[in-house]
Amino acid sequence: MSRWIALGLRRGMLTTGYPRHPDPGAPPAAVRVRAEALTAEQAVRAADLCPTGAIQVEGDAGTGALRVDMGRCVMCGRCVRALPDAFTYSTAPEVAVRSRERLTLRAVWSRGEGPQPEAIEAAEELQRRSLSLFRRSLHIRHVDAGSCNGCESELQMLGSPVYDLHRLGLFFTPTPRHADCLLVTGVVTRQMEQPLRDTYDAMPEPKLVVAAGACAIAGGPFEGGLTVRGPLDHVLPVDVYVPGCPPSPLALLHALLLAVGRAQERCSPGVRDGS
Amino acid sequence: MSALRDLAAGLDMEPEPGAAGEMHATCSEERFAPRVAALAEGAILADLFATTGERRRRLSAVFEAAGDPGWLVLHCDLSSDSFTSVTPLVHSAAWYEREIREMHGLEPLGHPMPARLRLLDWPEGVPPMRAGPGAAARGEPSEPERVPVVRGRGVFQIPLGPVRSGPQESGEFLFNSGGEDLVAVSPLLGYKLRAVERLAEGRSPEEGLVLAERLAGVSAFANGLAYAQAVERSLGIRVGPRQRAARSLLNELERLHNHLGDIGRLAEATGLMVAAAQYAALKEEVLRAGADLTAHRYLRGALSIGGLSAPLPSSGLHGLRRALPGWHRRTERMRVLLEATGTFTDRLETTARLRARYAAAHNLVGPVGRSAAVDRDCRRDHPYAAYEELRFEVPVRPEGDAQARLAVRIEEVRQSLGILDQLLENGFDRERSGGGEPETARHEALGWCEGAGGQTLHWVELDADARIVRWRARPPAFVNWHVYSEACASGNNLTDHPVIEASFALSHAEFDR
Ligand code: SF4
Ligand code: SF4
Repeated sequence: MSRWIALGLRRGMLTTGYPRHPDPGAPPAAVRVRAEALTAEQAVRAADLCPTGAIQVEGDAGTGALRVDMGRCVMCGRCVRALPDAFTYSTAPEVAVRSRERLTLRAVWSRGEGPQPEAIEAAEELQRRSLSLFRRSLHIRHVDAGSCNGCESELQMLGSPVYDLHRLGLFFTPTPRHADCLLVTGVVTRQMEQPLRDTYDAMPEPKLVVAAGACAIAGGPFEGGLTVRGPLDHVLPVDVYVPGCPPSPLALLHALLLAVGRAQERCSPGVRDGS
Repeated sequence: MSALRDLAAGLDMEPEPGAAGEMHATCSEERFAPRVAALAEGAILADLFATTGERRRRLSAVFEAAGDPGWLVLHCDLSSDSFTSVTPLVHSAAWYEREIREMHGLEPLGHPMPARLRLLDWPEGVPPMRAGPGAAARGEPSEPERVPVVRGRGVFQIPLGPVRSGPQESGEFLFNSGGEDLVAVSPLLGYKLRAVERLAEGRSPEEGLVLAERLAGVSAFANGLAYAQAVERSLGIRVGPRQRAARSLLNELERLHNHLGDIGRLAEATGLMVAAAQYAALKEEVLRAGADLTAHRYLRGALSIGGLSAPLPSSGLHGLRRALPGWHRRTERMRVLLEATGTFTDRLETTARLRARYAAAHNLVGPVGRSAAVDRDCRRDHPYAAYEELRFEVPVRPEGDAQARLAVRIEEVRQSLGILDQLLENGFDRERSGGGEPETARHEALGWCEGAGGQTLHWVELDADARIVRWRARPPAFVNWHVYSEACASGNNLTDHPVIEASFALSHAEFDR
């Protein structure tokens, strides 16, 4: 045992500086869009490429609209590789938001003019009565409602010395009765709906709900499946949405800190604000 | 030369050539069960699945044989919704047939226990692989078919799950215990059934790839690669040598992060927290190396049909080259420490022991199989990607206990690092010959990959427009969950279960699908 401790000491500090400092090794956390860099034809092409309908267009080359929904993005990279001027990866982990609409961007085009993004309202700080209660520490109950296990794999990394969520006062708890926050991964399958509801009901008020990953937000690649019920917000009220497939551990940390009002919302699919 | 061909000839079968290395044969309904049984005498039943569509019901059995790089696929068209069960003759067919029954509504007549495998809350008579859209909304869920419960003096049941205590996958276990000891453990699986394969039907192969890569997160690359190869082989597409080398590299990177993660979780289950932390930190480095190479920690989006979606960037390759010596040193140091930690090894020896005969009868795969003397590894047995040119050993142990499963994983980590060394030494800096003419398109083919959990076998059937008619995924966890109960029952305590679970490291997402 002492030899293990010696090894641990020899390895020294492994923990990321996040959230105080950016993590230089942060992976792509979201796709960012510069709608102005697209022609109408390219917008249509991007929509064809996108496997989950995160990029959609309506209208034709004359007039139309581009709608990008980062909640449905599974980070397949197809748009980034095909149209690198307009779609890029952002490595800033602050992708979580408090409302589903904040994950979408709309851009309209008309005769001769390429897509122009519509103004995005400034992040409206939703003051939740419950937030201040959890500022110091947060106990999290996780439920896998039908994931591919990618999201769990990242959640498990949060406990590793690299992310060490305890240093931030965040704890996973096995008992719903001690939990302040329900963190859900995966699309809600027909067979997990009841256990999920039971867990939620067993939690004391006030309680926060975090939808982690494209599946929990929008069904991800499994949207419309015969044996799935749908996205989490069809079943429970959701306070925080963190996109990704899976969201990286850094993005999950930001989402949890955002949930308790200890971090700011920075996300928007447009490059103008946010990163 | 070909063991499968000889076997088929001995049964008076005349198989036709399929995609490269595959032989296909058909037989009548009456002869299917005896023929599968006869083939299973000399070959390994690697998969058994159904294809259903309008006016179409087909069973397909996939065989491989030791020492033969090929595959034999036996098809049989059914005239009704039932068929003679193979299970009384071939025990390893049991779960395949239960799956065919619940997912396709084809009844295996004479199956000793045809209960549902995963559908716990589902209307009767609406098989998800066959029902029309919106079917699930119709009808009341029927009573769940539960697994048998052990009765006896002092035996009680403890359910665990489906919601687990930590950030883990959902799944249920029913423990039958007489106090301390485990009399029986029944995994109740299927809570996460997403019917992924059904979702792919009618889509293009590239769209299907997005699903294949998301069938299971930690084996995203293995499932993606097996699927991509099935499509490529169906369409007669050849992959160039550089991309094949890159595929092997990413395959090993994924095997590595899984093995490190699994060893770490096993250490955690025994309370060895420093070891758990060190393995997790190393796993994180491997995930980051993967992101540097493919822009995704789990390597999603790296593949495309025909090769890779983008060449591996030299910055990522340099990073990997720099990291490898440290990974060698640290894994070796931790191996020595683990083996010297008595409190750790004591918990593993003889725990959840699988007898070799039982493991062989179930055609187990991956480290779970190899630690119980089942010597299978499709990187060696059916070389794909660049494995023909790579040197590596496949560790096999006879004991079948948690200690052996750990030993196999530890050695596989070493082998993976060795393969990465070789690939970086000579894989990417020069163009190699190879590739060649495209093969004949067959419209259906197998694809395979040795993922961290073991043999990952996919089957794809495409229509004339190259749309997906049928995609069948048989990931390793589907095979290995079959023996979980049996392994738990041999003289273990309730408190051993976390160790048992971690030593098997079976994916729920892969099983439930
Ligand atoms: S990266 Fe996201 S937005 Fe781009 S094509 Fe893939 S799913 Fe669509
Ligand atoms: S969001 Fe992606 S990683 Fe998470 S469960 Fe869904 S498919 Fe898996």
